[in-house]
Amino acid sequence: MEKNRSYNRRDFLESGMRLSLALAVGAVGGLAIGKATASEWVWQIDPFACTQCGRCADECVLSPSAVKCVHAFDLCGYCDLCGGYLIPGANGLNTGAENQLCPTSAIHRKYIEDPYFEYVIEEDLCIGCSKCVKGCASFGNGSLHLQIKHDLCKNCNECSIARLCPSDAIKRVPASTPYLVKGGFIEP
Amino acid sequence: MKEKGLYIFLASLAVAIAAIIVADFSSGTAEKGQGNPYALNIEEYKSVDPALIHYREVRNIRLQCEHPKAIAYANGRLYLGADSFLQTITPDGREILKVSLPASPQCLYPSVDGNIYVAFRSHIEVLGPTGKPSARWEHMGEQSVITSIAVKDGILFAADAGQRRIARFSVADGQLMGYFEGKRGKGAFQGFVVPSPTFDVAVNSDGELWAVNPGNHSFEQYTNDGALRTYWENLSQTIEGFTGCCNPAHLAFLPDGSFVTSEKRLVRIKVHRPSGELASVVAPPEKFEDNGKAPDIAVSPEGIIYALDLDRKMVRVFEKIGAS
Repeated sequence: MEKNRSYNRRDFLESGMRLSLALAVGAVGGLAIGKATASEWVWQIDPFACTQCGRCADECVLSPSAVKCVHAFDLCGYCDLCGGYLIPGANGLNTGAENQLCPTSAIHRKYIEDPYFEYVIEEDLCIGCSKCVKGCASFGNGSLHLQIKHDLCKNCNECSIARLCPSDAIKRVPASTPYLVKGGFIEP
Repeated sequence: MKEKGLYIFLASLAVAIAAIIVADFSSGTAEKGQGNPYALNIEEYKSVDPALIHYREVRNIRLQCEHPKAIAYANGRLYLGADSFLQTITPDGREILKVSLPASPQCLYPSVDGNIYVAFRSHIEVLGPTGKPSARWEHMGEQSVITSIAVKDGILFAADAGQRRIARFSVADGQLMGYFEGKRGKGAFQGFVVPSPTFDVAVNSDGELWAVNPGNHSFEQYTNDGALRTYWENLSQTIEGFTGCCNPAHLAFLPDGSFVTSEKRLVRIKVHRPSGELASVVAPPEKFEDNGKAPDIAVSPEGIIYALDLDRKMVRVFEKIGAS
């Protein structure tokens, strides 16, 4: 009887408020810790899912696009007849403007030794149109591919290219592994 | 009265806005865009004049495996290498033999005496007619990637795409006899140009050893010692020739000495006359996956072409129209 009288309505409200306060402080602290320790995420293109639709060039909020062609040199055949550099049916295997596939001449062809040539992307000129990527994939080893360059990308909350990408090739990846670069030995 | 007019105006506005939204949604304007102004159209290279197609696909044999790798025809049966096993089947698909292998086979050569030579990435093993291993030959080095083998005059020729050369082994004892690199004359820098692991050798019915030089899109005939006897090449984006970084990927011979070729990426199978001109198309690109792998090919003495479709995991059988 004495015990029941000591835990009255006022006590119940006081203990309830204390519990609520402790929970709120704990939640705020937990969120703060979570935010402080959570890894950042960035947008990137999966080169094996990309279908070279050309949207990366036009749909990025930046102009020119933050999407650029990159070259996996360990996959490249260093071919004289390069499907990523030359238009199909080129009238010569040379650097003539009429033979180049890239609309901005962003690929440099450099003689290494007979019959091998190295192809280097000039990033400032590349608009990410993927024309060379399709040529390389259709006729070569597929060493040219697109990547979002993180020194350019604004890391928008909703990537405007990802929203329209028909193959869902653009996805969030941890900032600790921001590039999905092709490489290694490929099957014929 | 004034309020009634306002309600009518607002209702009309709401209907108009709804109509615009519905019209915009149904027209698909947002998705249509301007098309792709940078599109690279390769469709014209995929289309083949139907008059050139002299073969028809008569049947398929679906395979129970994850990674089919190699096919060969000998002794009235098909030999298949896949995953980590060797299988022999009848031409209509009934299994005769299936044996496990220590690793994934790269290519194989069944000889008329029943022995089966199986090449792995960098060495060759010999199996008896029952599939029992009888010999393991010398390791060719860490850089080696054997992509094709052929036997002629007691010599096994192994195309090594990794080191861009052809190794010669004695069939009798498995001893390595030497290499040749396909250089056209003394001092020549350029030999076999192999930008990817597609490098094939085959022996025709006249006993001639032919090797594909894929980076040069050429076919080169060699003596047993590795001296170049003759060659032909045809670099072209059109169906008459070979395109891409490294084609053809696979080679076989019809009984009359015609070349049967299989190409990668723009996948197609063709027949070229012994003199090199295009004779006919066996299978146009539309029969295969886009940017697919080149099918390995085998030919029976009757001229039936067996293509191992690596993407669809099946053997596809092609016969000349009117042959049967």
